[in-house]
Order: sequence, then C-alpha cells, then structure tokens
Amino acid sequence: MAVESDVMEAAGPYDRARALSAFKLGDVTFYWITRACAISVLLILGGIIISLIVGAWPAIREYGAAFLWTQRWAPSADPPVLGALGPIYGTLITSVIAMMIAIPVGLGIAIFLTEICPLWLRRPIGLAVELLAGIPSIIYGMWGFFVLGPFLANTFQPFMISIFDGVPVLGTIFAGPPSYLSLFNASLILAIMVLPFITSISVDVFKTVPPVLKEAAYGVGCTTWEVVRNVVIPYTRVGVIGGIMLALGRALGETMAVTFIIGNSFKIQSSIFAPGTTISAAIASEFAESDGLHQSGLILLGLLLFVLTFFVLAAARLMLMRLEKKAGN
Amino acid sequence: MTDLSVSVSTATGPVPQAPLPEAAPKVTARGLNFYYGEHHALKNINLTLGTNRVTAFIGPSGCGKSTLLRIFNRMYDLYPGQRATGQLLLDQTNVLDSKLDLNLLRARVGMVFQKPTPFPMTIYENIAFGIRLYEKISKSEMDGRVEKALRGGALWNEVKDKLNASGLSLSGGQQQRLCIARTVAVRPEVILFDEPCSALDPISTAKIEELIQELAEDYTIAIVTHNMQQAARVSDKTAFMYLGELIEFDDTNKIFTSPSDRRTQDYITGRFG
Repeated sequence: MAVESDVMEAAGPYDRARALSAFKLGDVTFYWITRACAISVLLILGGIIISLIVGAWPAIREYGAAFLWTQRWAPSADPPVLGALGPIYGTLITSVIAMMIAIPVGLGIAIFLTEICPLWLRRPIGLAVELLAGIPSIIYGMWGFFVLGPFLANTFQPFMISIFDGVPVLGTIFAGPPSYLSLFNASLILAIMVLPFITSISVDVFKTVPPVLKEAAYGVGCTTWEVVRNVVIPYTRVGVIGGIMLALGRALGETMAVTFIIGNSFKIQSSIFAPGTTISAAIASEFAESDGLHQSGLILLGLLLFVLTFFVLAAARLMLMRLEKKAGN
Repeated sequence: MTDLSVSVSTATGPVPQAPLPEAAPKVTARGLNFYYGEHHALKNINLTLGTNRVTAFIGPSGCGKSTLLRIFNRMYDLYPGQRATGQLLLDQTNVLDSKLDLNLLRARVGMVFQKPTPFPMTIYENIAFGIRLYEKISKSEMDGRVEKALRGGALWNEVKDKLNASGLSLSGGQQQRLCIARTVAVRPEVILFDEPCSALDPISTAKIEELIQELAEDYTIAIVTHNMQQAARVSDKTAFMYLGELIEFDDTNKIFTSPSDRRTQDYITGRFG
C-alpha cells in the first residue's frame, strides 16, 4: 500500500490511476474482441457440421452405412438408389496420383531453388511457381479439356498400353478405350495445381536450416544430395509435411477443374484412363438440379468429404508424432 | 665477466625455451590470397602447419582467421563470389585445384564450428552417418567405431546409456564434443576448430581444450580463437593476423613472451583488438 501511494505521489499532479483505468477498458474490450474472433471459428465450424448432418439425415436414414460401399448412383430411379463408392474411389485415386507426381517434383524444385540454382535463375523459377498458384482453377480445367486430354488420349495412353500390354496389374491400369476425360487427366491437373503449395512451403522451410548446419554436413564430406537427404529434410520435415498436407487437402476438395475433365462417371473402372468422378465434382455437377432424397444424398457426400479431410489431417498429425519419436525426441 | 653474464640472465627473466623442433609440413600456404567478391580479405599468406602440431590463429575480429580456416577445406566453395588464389598444399595435394574431389578433401580436413552443430538425428546416428559415407561396415563394427569416436570425443561415459536420444538433447558442451567425435570418426588428417569454445561455459571449455591436446597426438590441428589464454594453453605454434595479413607466425612461447612485431605485442597485451 505504502509503495502504491508513493507511486501515486511520484506521478505528480495528474491522476495516474485514472489514466490507467482508461487503458483498462480498452484492454478488456481487446480481450473480448480477440476471444470472440477465436470462438466464432468454433461456432462456424460447428454450424457447418450440424447443417450438413441435418441436410444429410434423410439419406443417412434411407441408406445407412451401405451408402459407403454401394456403387450404383441412380437418382432418377424409383426409389432412387444412391451409393458413394464411385466418388470416394475417384477422390482418393486422383489425390493419390496427384500427390505421387507433385511431391517429388515439388520437393525437387524446392531443393533446386535453395541448394543448387545459380542466383540469376532463382527469381524467374520462383516467380513462375508462384504464378502457377495464381491461375484460377477454371483455366486449368479448360487447359486440361482442350490440350492435356487430347494429348493423353491420342499419344500418352497408346504409348503406355504398348509398353505394359499383357503385364498383369499395370496392363489393366492403363488399358481401355482412349477418353479425353479421365481420372488420370484430373490427377495431372491436380498435381500441377498443388505443386506451388509444396514448393513454396518447402522453399520457405529449407531456408530456415542454419547455414552452419549444412556446412557441418559438407564438412564431414557429404555431397549436396546427402546434405539434403540427411540434414535439410530431417531438420524441416514438420514444415514439409505441413505443406504436403495442405496440398493434399486442396487436391481432395478441388472442384471446378476436376468437374470439367473427370467425366462424371459413377462407374468404377480399373483403368486410370477411364472417366470417373470425385465427391466434389459429383456435388458440383448435380446439386443444382437435385431435390429430396437426391439432394440429401449429395449433402451426405459433402459430409463424407469433410470427414475424409479430417482423417487425412489427423493421420498427418499421427505420422509427425511417430517421426518425432523415431528421431529421439 | 662472470658477474655480468649473471646479471644479464636475471634481467631477461627465465631462460627462454628452446624453439620447437621442425615438424613435417602438413598444410603449406604460399602466396595465398582470398576475395569476397571485390573485397580482398586475405593478402599473401605464407605459412606451414606442422604434422601433429596445434596451430592457433589469433587476431582482432575481421582479420581473416576464420576465412583462412575455411580455405583449408574449401568451405568457401559453397558460396558464389568467393575465391582464393595462390597455392595451398595438403601434403602433395593442391587444395585449390578446381577438379579436386571436395568430399574427399573434407573427409581429410574435418571442421568443428563455433556453434555446436549436431545433425537432427540420434547420438549414434550423428557419428555413424559420417562413417557410412565412406565405408560399408557391419553393425557390430559400426558399434565399435561409434564407441571409439565417442571416447575420442571424451563423451562416451556421458552418453553410453542414451545413444538413441536425439543429438539435440545434449547440453551445449556435450553437443560440441559430439561434433568433435563426429569429425574424428571419419578419420581425418587435419581438424580445423573455428572458435570451438566461444559458445561454451568455462568447464566445457576446459574439457575441450584438454581434448584438443589429446587429439594433437593423432591429428594436425588448426584453431581459431579470440581467447589468448586459450591459444597459449593449447597450441604449439601461434599465428597473429591483422587486417588480412599474417603479421607473425612463431612458436607459441615466443609469441607470448617476446613477439618480434610491435602489433603482435600490442594485441596480446590488450592495447587493441
């Protein structure tokens, strides 16, 4: 108390306590504003989940768990028969193929840019990668439709068939009549679309590796590849995996470009050059003309995509924890 | 006559120690220059590191000591715009040869840095990693080599029960000894220490200094330090550098008791630096 009064006296003629209380009001307001912002995220997320469940409820009651493994999608049948297996398969396959292409290429670009690239070439390539991220997805869709599709159907697929014809598993993967619209076309477009995510995040985290750590690795005689493989990537793996997961999330949910080029066929075929569909493409192409049980089925598809993305993120977290344990933390 | 000679010897203090016998040259620099782009950082350096000798490099900040060290293993090559001219020999190998296999050079010339730089992996892997780059050996052989290296780094007793813990979990001094062990593990001929103790506490520093002297039995050592007592304690020869030039290079005893250059004397007595 004594100290407090001393301070007040030292503050002189004006009343410091009052001045401070004015700040206090501001502080309380600030506290509540930030808190409200944070809570609103939870509310919005919860609201979306609830409205999805409510909308999907008729379909859940009608089809139950069988929705997950029914392949037939016949909304105009009476009663409509709806099964999500085709879109789920298409979503997973296109995302997996896209990641198989985008991860090595994206990391390769990032490694080249940070470790090998001469300075004068760094900006042009970095800029090009960033521009890739800025292209609207409908442009990718059109390009896939008019350029990539014909090329794949007329040139690439016959080439793959000529190589793998008769080989047990690979033969069926590449077989089938050529089609401009296919799972593989969508996968390639997805790969190009998610590439900038992987590259730019990897470049950013690669830059955080302390130069002296790299020097130490070069100092025991490592080649550039060994430094990247044993020091740069382990040091930055959390960031790199974060970038990959962001890309995977985008690939799973990407709608416009995929709807354009995937063919919207609910039938599951073994060939990756056959048309297919994804969850988001199915919703985008049918939602406008749907009603009743059909619409509810589409909302249920949306809920599934939500759950799928959630599991992917959870799996990523789990994988990171495993990796950290292995590294001895 | 007798009286006179006695008085002279008392006036000059204790009898000066005999100069060190010449060691076989390990690293020889002749007319070595170094440039950071346009900046002429090292000017006409001539010196020889004797085999199994500890050579200390002292001098004020920015005098080029670390730069010189980084030429010995061509570390500067990682950065564009840096170049060295002149002659630098490791035994008979021309270090500045542009066709030289740098990985091999760096295996022969190891380096320990100012800050501890454990790799992001386990203690065991930190050591085994370097060995695996050059040799394919069995698990049991590897275990032996790792233990030997950790003993060489005076770290074995502290880590033998937690070889699978992360190298980053060790204290700063332990990390630095891990880095020394890692350097020793690839069996280099020369070890470069770039201010190895500047980030460490006095006890860790003492341990590392002791270690450096033990290592000198098997390796040729160059150490850059800002700590003149450290240079005096650990080294056989000392080089004093100033503004990119090698001012004086002689036996450590001589440098610290009767330097021949005025600037050396001013620096070691703390008049500048």
